[in-house]
Amino acid sequence: MIAGTQMAALVRDTVRESLARKIFWGFLGCSTLLILFFLLALNIDIVEGAWAAVSIFGQETRGGGLVNVDLLVRRVLGGIAAFLFTAGLFLAIFASAGLIPTVFEPGRIELLLSKPVSRSRILLGRYIGTLVVIGCNMFYLVLGVWTILGYKTRIWNFHFLLAAVLALFAFAVLLTVVLLVAVASGSGVLATMAAYFFLIMSPILAQHEKIAPLFRRQWSRDLMRWLYYLFPKIFDLGNMARLALEGRSLPSWTPLWSSGAFGAALLAAGLWVFDRKDY
Amino acid sequence: MRNFQRLRIVATLVDNMPAAIETERLTKQFRGLWSGREVRAVDGISLQINPGVAFGLLGPNGSGKTTFVKLLLSVVRPTSGEARLFGRECREPAVRLKTGYLPENHRFPTYHTGRQMLDFYAALSGMPAPERRKRAAELLEATGLANWADARIGKYSKGMLQRLGLAQALMHQPALLILDEPTDGVDPVGRREIRQILAALRQQGVTIFLNSHLLSEVELFCDEVAIISRGRVALSGKLAQLIAGSGYRVSAAGVPGAVCERLRQTALGVTGQDGVVDFRFADREGANRAIDLLRQSGSEIESVRHEQSTLEDVFVRAIQESARERRS
Repeated sequence: MIAGTQMAALVRDTVRESLARKIFWGFLGCSTLLILFFLLALNIDIVEGAWAAVSIFGQETRGGGLVNVDLLVRRVLGGIAAFLFTAGLFLAIFASAGLIPTVFEPGRIELLLSKPVSRSRILLGRYIGTLVVIGCNMFYLVLGVWTILGYKTRIWNFHFLLAAVLALFAFAVLLTVVLLVAVASGSGVLATMAAYFFLIMSPILAQHEKIAPLFRRQWSRDLMRWLYYLFPKIFDLGNMARLALEGRSLPSWTPLWSSGAFGAALLAAGLWVFDRKDY
Repeated sequence: MRNFQRLRIVATLVDNMPAAIETERLTKQFRGLWSGREVRAVDGISLQINPGVAFGLLGPNGSGKTTFVKLLLSVVRPTSGEARLFGRECREPAVRLKTGYLPENHRFPTYHTGRQMLDFYAALSGMPAPERRKRAAELLEATGLANWADARIGKYSKGMLQRLGLAQALMHQPALLILDEPTDGVDPVGRREIRQILAALRQQGVTIFLNSHLLSEVELFCDEVAIISRGRVALSGKLAQLIAGSGYRVSAAGVPGAVCERLRQTALGVTGQDGVVDFRFADREGANRAIDLLRQSGSEIESVRHEQSTLEDVFVRAIQESARERRS
């Protein structure tokens, strides 16, 4: 009972801080603009079954001919999923990375630690609170676009919702990097840079089979492979989302479980360091 | 001075209840990450503070007072030794259910209103929501912040923040209140109000641990004190006994310079005005020896007075004695 009250308070506090910092509102505004674009600007007239005439801001699309509705929906949803895994994650980290280090500010952390709440709960409360902030925005965007496109085309691609879950999972993994670096260094900037490092490395390492043979030394090739298996596979998760949207079967679940294991290890390390740190 | 070196305070014995605060050879050593230099901020402090006592911790800047408080609250981990609150290891989060804390140089999240802040910290203490709402309203009223309850605390003055901090520490009705410079930045009227709140709490049996550099405040409020210097207890005991320690003031006129210099070595303090020199001595023997010397030198004794020490005298003496012992 007490644990629930404490956790709810910590999550609520994180959300309240994000609202005060305008992070939440900024994200909500961007998502709303995108949703409004699909609601007001994109006009889809189903002509004959799977074909439709598409116009944007009243202008017919290039060629003015009919387009395959199913393909159109997949392309649009695929585009949004790609946005979530690239710019979406980049912005989410940028906007939310400060929410964790602020807890460690002198004068604030002492009071938190003086309360009858375990250190791990304080940190997990902040972590979950940040996920709630970003998750709410991601699902607002995804559900908004999905509902509008579904209503206009009568095609309800449920795999798109899975893409949002995968994007939130990728964010959760990257947030463990922020958490560990923030706990160890107390620097929000360093924590953000570390998360970006893994985000940027991901598409490079995903090409390890093509890139590794280019290295002359064996140890360089091995290192690249090891890093691929060790690091979170954000790019591959995005790829999984794309395949799911296209209704194709997934070649491997490795990106999911290995990224999860990476996140779990970093989260455990963050909690361990926090539990032993003096303030 | 052997008595001054005693590291243990035995305060008033209250039933068989465990001590509100008990530390045994509590030590905290910090080590520089790059330099490797080691600093003992707290060096083997043993204290016992019984329930219901108003206790003052005094010491010069950098003497280890705040680190000691942080050790009690498990904000900092001890290098060695033990600290217990109400008989339980202070590392257990549950023991802090009974503890309220107002840190020095606090930084409350400015996105809260006063009411939200009280609600947040009380929720961390596990209080149910209806109780939190009721208690917050009571405390906002008691601290004179009722009209500001729904304003963002970023708009609060230093004194208002201090009073809100005190309210925060009292939300869950703690049995032990640890206050680090509670009247810092508060105007005289506000200070008096805080003292009145604390006095009422003391009457209810709340143990109050006051960490303050304002000696007058400690003197007005505390039953017991400990003075720490460089991480060690230099002096501790009941305040009434410490300031009752006899002090003697001998005033004389026409004191030759050489005699004055000689007496300066044994006196606690020497002041002079209009040809009359005041010598202050800690004990009767010192005063008598001075009188003999002054008479032999032909000086005129103006007056001899038995004076009660102030806490400031006790403090200065304890710190000087501690420094002297370290040197020797």
